[in-house]
Order: sequence, then C-alpha cells, then structure tokens
Amino acid sequence: MTVTETRFDRWIFESFPVTAEGLGMLRIFSALFIIFFLIPGQGSSHFVYLSTLPVDFFAPPPGPLMIFDGFPSYAVFQLLHTVLLFSIAGLLLGYYTKLSSIVAGLAILSLQGLIYSIGKVNHEIFIAMVPIVMAFSNWGAAFSIDSIRKGARHEVHGWPVTMLALLIGFMMFTAAFPKILGGWLDLSTQATQGHLFNQFFVRERDALLATWFVNLDNGLFWELLDWSTVLFEAGFLFAVMSGKWFKRFVCLAVLFHFSTMMMLNIAFLPNFLAYAVFLNWTRIYEANLTLYRRFSGKRGEKSKKHSVWLLTGIVIIFFTGLSYLSSKNLILSGSDLTLYEAVLVSGAFATVVFLAGLTIHSVLFHRTQFTPNRHS
Amino acid sequence: MMSKKTIKYLFVGVMIWLPVQYGIVGIVGFYHSEPWPAFVFPGFKNVYIYEGGFEIAKTEFVVYPGESGEPISLQPQELFPEIPLSQVPGFMRTHFSDASNIKTFSPQAINWLEIQAKRAAGDVPVRMDVVGLIEYYSISDSGAVRDSLTETTRTSVNFVSR
Repeated sequence: MTVTETRFDRWIFESFPVTAEGLGMLRIFSALFIIFFLIPGQGSSHFVYLSTLPVDFFAPPPGPLMIFDGFPSYAVFQLLHTVLLFSIAGLLLGYYTKLSSIVAGLAILSLQGLIYSIGKVNHEIFIAMVPIVMAFSNWGAAFSIDSIRKGARHEVHGWPVTMLALLIGFMMFTAAFPKILGGWLDLSTQATQGHLFNQFFVRERDALLATWFVNLDNGLFWELLDWSTVLFEAGFLFAVMSGKWFKRFVCLAVLFHFSTMMMLNIAFLPNFLAYAVFLNWTRIYEANLTLYRRFSGKRGEKSKKHSVWLLTGIVIIFFTGLSYLSSKNLILSGSDLTLYEAVLVSGAFATVVFLAGLTIHSVLFHRTQFTPNRHS
Repeated sequence: MMSKKTIKYLFVGVMIWLPVQYGIVGIVGFYHSEPWPAFVFPGFKNVYIYEGGFEIAKTEFVVYPGESGEPISLQPQELFPEIPLSQVPGFMRTHFSDASNIKTFSPQAINWLEIQAKRAAGDVPVRMDVVGLIEYYSISDSGAVRDSLTETTRTSVNFVSR
C-alpha cells in the first residue's frame, strides 16, 4: 500500500470515527427532525393542491420526472406520503433500519420531485441523502429493534459521514462558483445588499432584522459580506480533506445560516439535518447518560437505554410543542419564515456559540478534558 | 457489507461524478432549466445592480372585476397562496414570463386561473392582466428608496370571451 493510498484510506475511514451509541442517537434525532419539520409538502393540503393543478402548470425539471405528462392523482401523493411515514417510523424505531432509511430517502426524493414540477427546484436534497447515505453506517446498531434481534450486527462505519462531508463540501463550492462569475467580488457591486432588496421588496421577507439591514448604507460592510460569503462557500470544499477543519466549517455554516435568517428571512433548515451528523453524538450520549444516572440514581446496564428513551421523549415533547405553536401563527405570521425554523436555527447558533466558548475556555486554561473536535 | 476496496472505488466514482454532473447541470440549465436531482446549491449569481442602485424584476396580476369594479392588483403570492414563497418566483418565471406561453393556456388552465382570481379578489373577474415590472431603487441616507417603476410586459387573460 502506497503512502497516497494510506492517506486516502485514512481520510475515508478515519476522518469521522463513530460509535454504535452515537449513531443510534443521531438516527433517532434525524427521524424525529424529518417527521416534525422536513416532510416534503408538510401535509396533505399541498398534495391536494398539486393534484388539481391543470397540466399547463406541470413543468418537471429535466430528469426522471419528465416521464410524467402531468401531476399524478392525489392517491399517488398519499401513497408516497404513507410509504414515507412508515419508513421514517422504521428508521425511528430501528426496524430493518438500512431498508427503512433507503426507502425513506427515495420516498422523499419522489415527493420533492413532484413538488418541484411546478417549475421551481428547491435545493433540499439532503433531507433524502442523509438517510440514504447513513443507511450504510449501520446506525440501527444501538437503541433499536434491530439491535435486539438474533444475529444483529453491531459493527458501525464512519465512511458514510465522510461521504456526506464530500457532498456538502462540493455543493457549497457550487454555490460559490456562480457568485465569482457573477461579480460578487467586484468592489463596485454589493450583491448581498441587492439580494436583501430582492427578498425584502419582491418577496416581502421583512421579518426579524431585515428592515434594519435594508436601511444600513455601509458599502464596506456589504462588500465584506460578499467576500466572506464567497470565501466561506469555496473554502468548504478544501475543508473536506480534514475532519477537524470540516467541523469548523460546519460551525461557520450555522453562523452563516443564522445571519441569513436574520437578514434575508431564509432559514435553509434542510441543511441542518446534514450539519447535525457532524455533532459529537457519542459525547452527547455520554453527557446525557451521566445526567440520567446522577438524577435517577440508577447505574445498571438498562440505564443506558433508559437515558436515551427519556431524552427521546423530551425531544418529542419539545418538537410537538414547537410544531403546535408554529401552526398557530402567533409569531412571524406575516412571513414565510416559521416559528420552528427561527427557533431551531437560533438553537443551532446558540449551540455553536456554546461550543466555541468551551473551546476557548479549554485553550485558555489548558484543559484537555473537553475536545469538541473529537467526533463520536 | 461492502469491502474497503469497493468503498474506495465508490469514493473515486463520486469524486469524478460530482464535477461531471455539475457540468451537466450548467449546460442543461442554460438551454432548458435546472435538472433534478443534482448535487448543487443555488448560486444566487445575480447582483441586481445599476449605476449605484438596484433593479428588481417582478410580476403582478391585475384583476378586472365586473363592469363597475375597480381593477385589483395582486402579488403572485396572493393569487397562489398554496405555493411556497420560495417557489413563487420560479413558478412566475416558468409560466408567466412569456406572453406567447400565456396566450396558449388551455381552457382548463384559464378556468383554474379564474377560480384563483375570484378567490383572491373577492369578485367575479372578467379579465386578468399579467404585468412584468422592473423596480429601480437607490440608496439614500433615509434608506432604500424606489426611484421608478417600469412596466415591461402586459398580457391579458380573458375570462368572459371563452
């Protein structure tokens, strides 16, 4: 084996070490995140609308959807939706996890394709790609029905995480390249400000800090945003080569999306499903277990599972409450930004700030116990 | 379970495929529209700039109710509230930016538009104009100010002559 091959191998297989417990936590969180917030169409009323659109408005993007000559009937949407719900339930419970993950991903892709056939593609492919790619990590090895079945395999794999990093890095680069060609780095133009105007005046995205930014006339500020956006997006591709650097770029991405939400009212929530893969899930599992044992006083083997079930229950209650409050349109009612998007993106922002604070603290005080870049 | 060798081949394949599909997306997107599924993010290439200000293209609908009613201007998201806001500009670009396309709408499509216009305007419409506009904004000390508004296209959809 040559040096290059060894380095290539290390990059694929060792960039993002994983454990069964960490992946199990990630699987449960991902399934809940999709069920509550990322189901394409967000319910049957949109499917009813699409299925009644005249054929004149069927404009599928070039690709597999072109085999259709119009929107399918509502029954087809319902069938796909049902398949998706059952497969996501399988993913959540870890029942035939690999198959459930892949079927869920394919059902999401099918629904997305039909939704985009009104003539506009949204870039939400990670809702489907996370379950499809992570299916090969054996993320059903812990806290699942699969794990208690006879002959269950407990070996887990980190290479799907590297694959996701590669996809994210490349896709970020595809966001940067047109900006370079389009003149974002031209000092005489302030592209970010132009996009803010477009979102504000045409799409009426005027919530949060949008109005304040519209009235901010500082060429240097806007030009710095143009440059930093391009450098950040292009740099993602190079960060893929190092697990440590990639996680730092994921943190930057969270800050980037938070600022985009505050300014342009665009949350880009589907990306957060992919970013969440790079959290230290083993560390989260261990911290949760420690807390559970401290408060329950239980120390046995069962406490491992019980701690996860308890946290899952808390997340379900939180997501249910958040969904319910969002559906009431009490806040952000005049915006297409939803309450749950604002809360979840802000939560991710707070998490990154917290992790950065811990890192700075550990560096300043030479503490080595906390290693935020060590992946579970 | 895949062998390490297979996984390495998979990575090499993906690393070759990603730039190739990006090239395909660029070519097909230029001549037709953006393909899907594809591993790309939106570029937001446009800078919307003109001589120190900004220009923004938009579409409006003007609904003409029965004889006595005043014309009612509607934003696309008011006429098509079920379409997510993120998809509205693409929906407009695909179906309402070309007059020849609008003029060839089927009776079924015109009937559907009439229902949407009636629902949004609250009156029985006799006609609806699809109006292409360009707004020009300049930056002043008091913030962004609209300089002017230019109508670029106007295409009528008649509901009564069917």
